[in-house]
Amino acid sequence: MVDALREAHRVLAPRGILIDARPDSRVLAYAERRKIRGFQRFGIVRTNRFELAADRRSDRAIASVVRDRLFKSKRRGRFWHRVPFDSLAELRQYLAEHLRFVHRAKWVVDAATRRRHSNEPFVLRRAVRYEILEASHDL
Amino acid sequence: MSDDGPSRVGDVGRHVPALSSTLRPRPVDELRAWGGQRLVRGMRVLDLGCGDGRFALGVAASASTVDGLDPDDEAIAAGKKAARKSGVRNVRFRVGAAQRLPYPDGAFDVVILSWTL
Repeated sequence: MVDALREAHRVLAPRGILIDARPDSRVLAYAERRKIRGFQRFGIVRTNRFELAADRRSDRAIASVVRDRLFKSKRRGRFWHRVPFDSLAELRQYLAEHLRFVHRAKWVVDAATRRRHSNEPFVLRRAVRYEILEASHDL
Repeated sequence: MSDDGPSRVGDVGRHVPALSSTLRPRPVDELRAWGGQRLVRGMRVLDLGCGDGRFALGVAASASTVDGLDPDDEAIAAGKKAARKSGVRNVRFRVGAAQRLPYPDGAFDVVILSWTL
């Protein structure tokens, strides 16, 4: 990863910009029912431990090139992204197949409520983090 | 030098199938969250780990040129096809690895790692 970042630095013009954006595993994702107005939280979805470890490696790679003064961090932030599903079954199927998340949500509503709304639209709300870094060539 | 354990860089772009890019934020929304079109307007942009070109094609209208690089040749083929279909002329796609970029020094103003690192 660090090698890739060094290559990115090489191909950037002086004061060029590197944008690193990826899912933010430091915060939970949520399974939510789409209502006429707003959303109702149905469950909590955690990132699987392998992806958590991979995210930490990515964090360390960024920290390493900043420490080496190849890049300066200019700005960072987070936004939320909702992945839509036609039903609760579709969302569950996505979780079962997706590599990033644990395969089952931790439900915060009872089974009867889940059954009652199972054919309604759902979303998976997850955080995306980003960081804007400026290439430094004045070593 | 590296403290990130065994390098996974050769796998950049391979972990998540290109198909899943349809489940990601729209490029325009992602760009807005980062600070808006001004980040890429008139710039030479490299989309590293571009997959099927979702983001590269999404910012092409604002950027001067966009290069997309990914180790997945099928995804790159899909990106080229999408570029042809949409008539985008300032985007080039290449198969390649992030740790050996086939570009000269200082070739870009912006490098984007969108869901790649």
